[in-house]
Amino acid sequence: MFLALKEIKHEKLRYSLIIAMIVLISYLIFVLTSLALGLARQNTAAIDSWQIDRIVLNQDANVNLSQSLLTKQQLAGIKLGAKEAYLGQVAVVAKASGHAKDSAQFIGLAADQFVAKNLELTSGHKPTNKQEIVVDTAFKDDGYQLGDRMQLNSASKSYQIVGFTKNAKLSVAPVIYGTLTAWRQLKNMGPTFMASAIVSQDRTFTATSSQLKHYSTQQFIDKLPGYSAQNSTFTFMIAFLMIISLIVIAVFLYILTVQKLQNYAVLRAQGIPAKTLVGATISQAVVLVISGLLIGTLLTAVTAAVIPASVPMTFDIPILAAVALGLILTGIIGALFPVRLILRVDPVSVIGG
Amino acid sequence: MSAIQLTNINKFFGEKSSRVHVLHDINFAAEAGQLSLVIGPSGSGKSTFLTIAGGLQTPNSGSVQLDQQPLYDLNTKQRDSLRLNKIGFILQAYNLVPYLTVREQFGLADRVKKHGNLTPAELENLLKQLDITELQHKYPAELSGGQKQRVAIARALYTDPAIILADEPTAALDSARVKEVGRLLADLAQSQNKAIVVVTHDLRLRDYADQIYEILDGQISKTV
Repeated sequence: MFLALKEIKHEKLRYSLIIAMIVLISYLIFVLTSLALGLARQNTAAIDSWQIDRIVLNQDANVNLSQSLLTKQQLAGIKLGAKEAYLGQVAVVAKASGHAKDSAQFIGLAADQFVAKNLELTSGHKPTNKQEIVVDTAFKDDGYQLGDRMQLNSASKSYQIVGFTKNAKLSVAPVIYGTLTAWRQLKNMGPTFMASAIVSQDRTFTATSSQLKHYSTQQFIDKLPGYSAQNSTFTFMIAFLMIISLIVIAVFLYILTVQKLQNYAVLRAQGIPAKTLVGATISQAVVLVISGLLIGTLLTAVTAAVIPASVPMTFDIPILAAVALGLILTGIIGALFPVRLILRVDPVSVIGG
Repeated sequence: MSAIQLTNINKFFGEKSSRVHVLHDINFAAEAGQLSLVIGPSGSGKSTFLTIAGGLQTPNSGSVQLDQQPLYDLNTKQRDSLRLNKIGFILQAYNLVPYLTVREQFGLADRVKKHGNLTPAELENLLKQLDITELQHKYPAELSGGQKQRVAIARALYTDPAIILADEPTAALDSARVKEVGRLLADLAQSQNKAIVVVTHDLRLRDYADQIYEILDGQISKTV
């Protein structure tokens, strides 16, 4: 550490440039991770808020809520307990005078079932009739207030906002909670159709009908349209940035080590153990990466403070800390490349000539 | 009792037809308190002689004894430790660590050799003797050639080794500085009871040596 710190202190410009590279890489990784998390949360926030373990869909729906319809006939013989609830889903466009059109997900609920019962409101009350709705706070951010009315798709009657709830997002669209009757109206369906799905907090819940199929929550989430592809894209981007940071650190340290081989040969001739020099290189990498990370974290915190709420970013500290730890490990691995040079340095090379 | 003794040292480089016999049956001994000079032209084998004496290069045959300890019976780690504790090197290009101040050059030794280094008072005396007290907070790039050489000498002496091996310590110095370094090495050998071995082609150092060996085509002979 002694050699590492002294060298960084003496070669300020050189090491500032390396730290600047690490700052940019770490900042980019933090922002991308937060964006990936934010988008992932916007896909699943509503599902997460229901706290479900199972979902039952029509077996021909290809694990897609919007393609699933459950009929009375299919549900005959299935008894719902306190841990089960019907969900009716339909994609809608919300419009109201003075507001831009918003794409949203309408979720019809039965008032006496757990999803509706557990719905947490930031203001207002739960729907008491088919023309009342509770909407995500994104609508509040767009200027909607309690008591405002909105049209959903081309339904003739308008719906009144009676409550706001937060973190109600499904497939990156804000959720509008209403009744199952309203869902049927929006779908133009009769009472034969009961719901789009049954959700359950019991991981052993099974549907007895051969036309229905149950899935774990994770299976269902993984099949949300675009969810896996989007997450894979971000994961690859973050992984590539990690690899790039490893290469940057390894290349810089390699070049710096090559420049210092003459000094290392002298120190080896004087009996300075190779492990001292290896330790200096690794600790130098750790100091550089941690310095870069600290500044990168600061920039990320500033970004978090000024980023508009409409940008889907989630700054999850444990996950970002894990990413930071990954970068430190990457730095250590990068520092191991020049270690071979140090171990092979020949003290004889500095004598004579 | 010799501080360092080389007995029947032979060293070859290369294989088969390109094999070169660099050192022929070298016998050499240096005593504590003496400045020994090994003089020879370029290519005579004096650098190879120094690396073998310092435990940096294994001879093909013969033995090297430091304080009666056979150097090449030790493994690499033990030889590293022996070099750190008993041998100080002064090199032609000074080779000070560029990002450490003069004072910090000694601090590095403190980190790897916890005991037996000069005390702060002894270091102050040494710096005074070498006339580099004022340079303690300067970096090598801020020093002249002569100053760097004196710092390199101080660094070699800092771990209080029994033996100092110097490789062409006056190669880059003018005549006045050569005299100064020659006098200094002779004084240090005597005042600190060190065995100082200097390999050089600089005949101007002859006046300060207690014993002089000449090395030519890998063969050594004692002249004084």
